[in-house]
Amino acid sequence: MGKFQRSVGLIIFGLAAGAAILLWTVVAAGGPTAGKAPTEGVMFGLWRVRYDTEAPSPRVITAAFAVAVLCAAGVAVLERRIANRARRSDDSGASPLAPKVVMAETFGVYAGPVTVTVLIPAHNEEASLPFTLASLIEQSHRPERIIVVADNCTDSTVSVARAAGVEVFESVGNKNKKAGALNQMIARFLPEQGENDLVMVMDADTTLDDGFLEGVVKRMTDDRALMAVGGLFYGEEGSGLLGQFQRNEYIRYARELRRRRGRVFVLTGTASVFRPRALATVAASRGNLLPGANGAVYDTAALTEDNELTLALKSLGALMISPQQCTVVTEVMPSWRALWVQRLRWQRGALENLGAYGVTRPTLRYWLQQLGIGYGVIALATYLLLILLMVLSLDAWVWFPFWIGLGLLFTLERVVTVWRGGWRARLLGLALFPELAFAMFLNVVYVKGIFDIAFGRQAGWHYEPHAADVAATAGEPA
Amino acid sequence: MRLPTGALLPESVLRSDAFAILAAFVAINTLVYVLLAVAKMLPKIYFSDWVKRSNRRSQTRSIHPHRRES
Repeated sequence: MGKFQRSVGLIIFGLAAGAAILLWTVVAAGGPTAGKAPTEGVMFGLWRVRYDTEAPSPRVITAAFAVAVLCAAGVAVLERRIANRARRSDDSGASPLAPKVVMAETFGVYAGPVTVTVLIPAHNEEASLPFTLASLIEQSHRPERIIVVADNCTDSTVSVARAAGVEVFESVGNKNKKAGALNQMIARFLPEQGENDLVMVMDADTTLDDGFLEGVVKRMTDDRALMAVGGLFYGEEGSGLLGQFQRNEYIRYARELRRRRGRVFVLTGTASVFRPRALATVAASRGNLLPGANGAVYDTAALTEDNELTLALKSLGALMISPQQCTVVTEVMPSWRALWVQRLRWQRGALENLGAYGVTRPTLRYWLQQLGIGYGVIALATYLLLILLMVLSLDAWVWFPFWIGLGLLFTLERVVTVWRGGWRARLLGLALFPELAFAMFLNVVYVKGIFDIAFGRQAGWHYEPHAADVAATAGEPA
Repeated sequence: MRLPTGALLPESVLRSDAFAILAAFVAINTLVYVLLAVAKMLPKIYFSDWVKRSNRRSQTRSIHPHRRES
């Protein structure tokens, strides 16, 4: 790993800290006056309360409004401009998967109807595999072929697959886990596929909702320049409060994608579909246009191979979408330990992939996203510090009507954005503080990830217990 | 009614300049995050829908080469 790659986390966090220091300096230069003592009042003739009506000046509120609009609109405009540029590119050298290039190359040729072959990489998945297979067989558009890619299995994954009547490919001498097993399989399989013979890669702990494949086939039939369709994932039932935290997170992510009209952040490893041209072009572009070994579809050096493949496809100008109709249900981590391992892996993977690609137009959105998370860590930490200082210094509780009002708005957002998740999701959003604590947990993971990369520490994802192992193959939200 | 809370630090901490800066810093951040949260709650406006598009498809993108664009 190069110096730049190693310091990528520190660079991002340094930039976020720089922004925070800048704001701090501006605030200090403005010379905020120390607050007056709170007022004491009597409510309903009985209840004596101390309250502080202090609210920020209109100037501060305006400035905050401007910053919020600038951040949100700036990122949106930037992303749109970059996407349009890729969409209009006709440079077959730099953007071999750009729609114009693909359209020109496939003009006037009918390569047959759209077919779907599902590849399911599986490492000891005998328990969940039957459900995954059933969800495929029950699809309104049944896949033409289902192939379980068994990788170093020591349980009965292979016999479970054979009993279900699907094909099995066993990896040979693979030391590169999921990505390595898929590369072996795809290298043999891909050359036989026609332009419209889609390849779907799907985790063995995931089940497809009905209509997924029908939606994929329709879109891929209507648009031959469309290179990939990603699934929207929801968390399975169970695992109590910890499960609910993750379900809420996934519901918000799916909502965000709907509001983006399906514009992809990450083609999730839980279930994504590719045109063979997309995979073949990625394999051929590695070692020159893209990082990784030439000829390999998946970069085996990447911790999050689904995120890496998304960056690869975007870098080549590929058009991709996550339609509302294409939903999957995936596993939630059953313990804090497993969640810690999963998220550390996602976080490190995302940062390392950015380091491998550098700052380019297609990756700019992802750099900004990481910067946003970095700033969020500082913002939440200083917020908690402020609350802590107040709790430790005040000898009586003081009410702040202005800030309580804002808190209520924030709580409302937590509830509205998980509305589709049902009453349990809403209740957890309404409680606000548990989700703040969960956010803090994720922030700690973020900081840990940065330090692990910077100081070259190996995360302990190599053959963890099953839950963690499964975590290693899950998709990546935001 | 006076509720006994922390009082581990002197209340004068809250009157210090450093605390005032921290409070103002947190206030601006909180306002920004709340505004972003409000934007996330409200229905999204798609400005591009209002603009007359010049990039309508001029030919079919279907896998069937002679299908007319619907």
